[in-house]
Amino acid sequence: MLKMLAPFCALALATSAYAQDLDSKSVADLLPLAKKEAKVTVYAFTSRIGRVEEAFEAAYPGIDMVAFDMSSTEQIARIKSEAAAGVAGADVIYISDAPVVLTELASQNLVTRYVPPRMESLVPEQFKSPLLAQRLSTKVLMYNEEAYPDGSPVKNLWDLTKPEWKGRVIMVDPLQRGDYLDLMTEIVLKSDDMAKAYEAAFGKPIALGEGIDNAGEQFITDLFANDLVLVGSTDDVNKAIGAKGQKNPPIGFTSYSDRRDNEDEGWALQVANDIEPSNGIVFPAFLALNATAANPAAARLAIDFMMGDDSNTGGDGFKPFYVAGDWPTRTDLAQHPDAIPLSDFKSWQIDAAETAKIRANVADFVLALQ
Amino acid sequence: MTVPLRRLRPSLARYGLTAAMALILVVLVAAPLATILIQTLQSGGGAWADVLASRLSQNLFWRPATNTMIIGLAVAGGCVLLGGFLAWLVVMTDVPGRPLIAFMATLPFMIPSFATALAWGSVFRNGRVGGAGGLLEGLGFSVPDWLSWGMVPTIVVLIAHYYALAFTVIAAALSTVNGDLVEAAQMTGASRKRILFGIVLPVVTPAVIAGGSLAFAGAVSNFAAPALLGLPVRMQTLSTRLFGMIEIGQTERGYVLAILLIAISAIFLGIGNRILNSRRSFATISGKGARPRRFTLGTMRLPLALLAWTVCILTTLLPILLLLAASLAPSSLSLFSDWTLHYWIGAADPAFARGQPGIFHHPQLISALTTTLMLGAGVVFAANALGLLIAVALTRQKVPVLSNAVSQLSFLPMLLPGIAFAAAYIALYGAPIGPLPALYGTKLLLGLALTAAMLPFAVQTGRATVAQISGDIDEAARMTGAGFFHRLWAITLPLAARGLAAGLLISFVNVIGDLAITVLLYTPTSPLLAVLSYSYASDGFHQFANAVTLVILVISMLATCAATLLRGRRRQTFA
Repeated sequence: MLKMLAPFCALALATSAYAQDLDSKSVADLLPLAKKEAKVTVYAFTSRIGRVEEAFEAAYPGIDMVAFDMSSTEQIARIKSEAAAGVAGADVIYISDAPVVLTELASQNLVTRYVPPRMESLVPEQFKSPLLAQRLSTKVLMYNEEAYPDGSPVKNLWDLTKPEWKGRVIMVDPLQRGDYLDLMTEIVLKSDDMAKAYEAAFGKPIALGEGIDNAGEQFITDLFANDLVLVGSTDDVNKAIGAKGQKNPPIGFTSYSDRRDNEDEGWALQVANDIEPSNGIVFPAFLALNATAANPAAARLAIDFMMGDDSNTGGDGFKPFYVAGDWPTRTDLAQHPDAIPLSDFKSWQIDAAETAKIRANVADFVLALQ
Repeated sequence: MTVPLRRLRPSLARYGLTAAMALILVVLVAAPLATILIQTLQSGGGAWADVLASRLSQNLFWRPATNTMIIGLAVAGGCVLLGGFLAWLVVMTDVPGRPLIAFMATLPFMIPSFATALAWGSVFRNGRVGGAGGLLEGLGFSVPDWLSWGMVPTIVVLIAHYYALAFTVIAAALSTVNGDLVEAAQMTGASRKRILFGIVLPVVTPAVIAGGSLAFAGAVSNFAAPALLGLPVRMQTLSTRLFGMIEIGQTERGYVLAILLIAISAIFLGIGNRILNSRRSFATISGKGARPRRFTLGTMRLPLALLAWTVCILTTLLPILLLLAASLAPSSLSLFSDWTLHYWIGAADPAFARGQPGIFHHPQLISALTTTLMLGAGVVFAANALGLLIAVALTRQKVPVLSNAVSQLSFLPMLLPGIAFAAAYIALYGAPIGPLPALYGTKLLLGLALTAAMLPFAVQTGRATVAQISGDIDEAARMTGAGFFHRLWAITLPLAARGLAAGLLISFVNVIGDLAITVLLYTPTSPLLAVLSYSYASDGFHQFANAVTLVILVISMLATCAATLLRGRRRQTFA
């Protein structure tokens, strides 16, 4: 009986007054409350959460972090089911897949925003609302630096539609992975830039084909028509592009941060930064609260911890995420020595709300092509 | 009190079991499916129109459906031929190394199909997806796209993966062929061909159909092989399409595709069922009769042995070896260099593998192992007990409509992709129903879903065996006043033991390797091995993922050994 009542108690506790009170509390004030709760559950889309767990438990002995590593898609399915079942599975949600999270979870208040007071002045407004973004990841054009030691063989996205790249552009099927669909969607959203880049590449204004509404759609059509190679996972893309010893390696879209595996895997992945009009997309990873969190204070403490401490690399809480190719949203952390600074990185930052609006249409458009 | 009961008894004996099974199947299978169906209709059925009648339906449904059917039929045919051939060699002939062939021929099903696909790639891949080419390209051959990617490799890989199902079921049936019949035929001078087509084949027809059906259903819902081998040439199947739809958040379209996949497959499998049902009796086990004499292969002995061995090595040893190498090699590009045991037993080292310690240091490995075994055992016994009862109900009680419904329902889970099945279970049983508490996040929910998912295996193997048990014995027992459960326990069970063992094994292996269902339903406090492997893989820690996969494989192999030993002992006591 008590077990069945627990969710309702949690619900009652999480009433807005109590929650607002907690939102403004400092770490010192949260700590005793969190210690009383003694536990915090985290859903995370990366296995790096295992190292966060260790660091958190070392920093706050007596509070047990229970972390579950599952993909954003699974998290979304789980969170929806849990809400329907009236069960609060996780206290903290660490998740990517912004367009779906914002339109299907945040808008229904299944996950809610929390910005640690400490972070108010450190994180720019765009990354604090509607949810707090912890870091930014990428899906960008990468090439093989062993085969092309003088830099990217491509200078313009439209080059990928030219005959010399026929059958040699590779990416994950955008109808299998959400972040690649977001990339396609962004290209459509940035059609004006794409039209300009077309002129730069071909020296004439773009002429749209039948049934095609904008330069972005034209690009996607031409890319598919140029025998674009689709695979099932980012890892397959990395292998295809990055493998050393290739005479004529393909080029394609993958994560900039996967370059950190070059040494372990024997790859020669390098990012193509100087691309007209852009080399791809940058998107956020959110840290959010479960609206009915069973451990509201510990949940806030955990989010605060994962945003990093006051040192210039973010300390142990942020350490697993301080890698080249991922950028913290905090403005005060030191630039990673091996990475291009975000300000010099030529990517589009996705606008999750705008993306969500036309994402399904773009999916249909891609579907009609293959 | 006694009067109505007595009046009830005849009809209970006639319909009771079937009705009870139908009820259980409604709870386990029909209700969750209906939940999905309702979800696709709730929003005005727009998803149905999109899938079936829009500018998208060609790419969303028709082409993937055609590919799926071609793959399903080709794989079913291939599996029956290959599995049947090996089963015949092992059970009916004097081919050398029979026990080992029998053991190895059951293994491919335990090897994840992605490993088999990987094995194909390591030999046949060409430069289409960049990276390093396969073995053949390395030797200077140029491999055409059709051999590297798409339909042909998908079919071959799936046959190599699922023929073990056909083998297991057909071998179990073949070993029940009445030796007296064969001997009589031989003595009257019937040719080998005549015996094969006149006696053996008709007898194993139920098993052939069952094996073919399992292979068909497995092939049409398989995701890994078409995703790895089909995507680079943009070949989509219903399973890759529906996985993608769920992955990009278009769940309703995904569900519609799932329902259509079920519907189409049901039509094909219904034909198989009809054949099985229309032939009244396949009775071959009459409780007496000698074990079949083995054919002497003569000059064909060595060539056939060589063929069998090649098949076994290519479909078992090669994928296992590659899996092992992939769990030891730091780079997935050169699988046979710089081997290290770090991924198995190494301590955390920040400079290596992004600081990830070996799998035996994973804090949840042991609990995942025990949970996997307990759950596996529980589910297997539940599913097979149900499977046997359903098989008995279907063979002994032919109730119009109801029998057919039971038969169809028990097969449906096979066709439903795990992720959709899990979603259906959450949708229905995740929330409290009346006085029943919400099952979300409990092991019971996972156990129920897995039991339902294993029913097709359990029922098919149960049916193939029970169908052969002569009604005479059962009738004789009934006339001497033995009750239903007594007859089941004393007659059906012992006679069906061998077929049941096969069923138990197949479902155990399937449970512990299952990912699609468990990934949504596992209880967060104690993950399963398959989930562990998946979360490693999804973070790019392939060596670790492969190591965990090998742990699963070793458990499966141990189970197979145990089952083989048990079967061997039983055979001796019967002899």
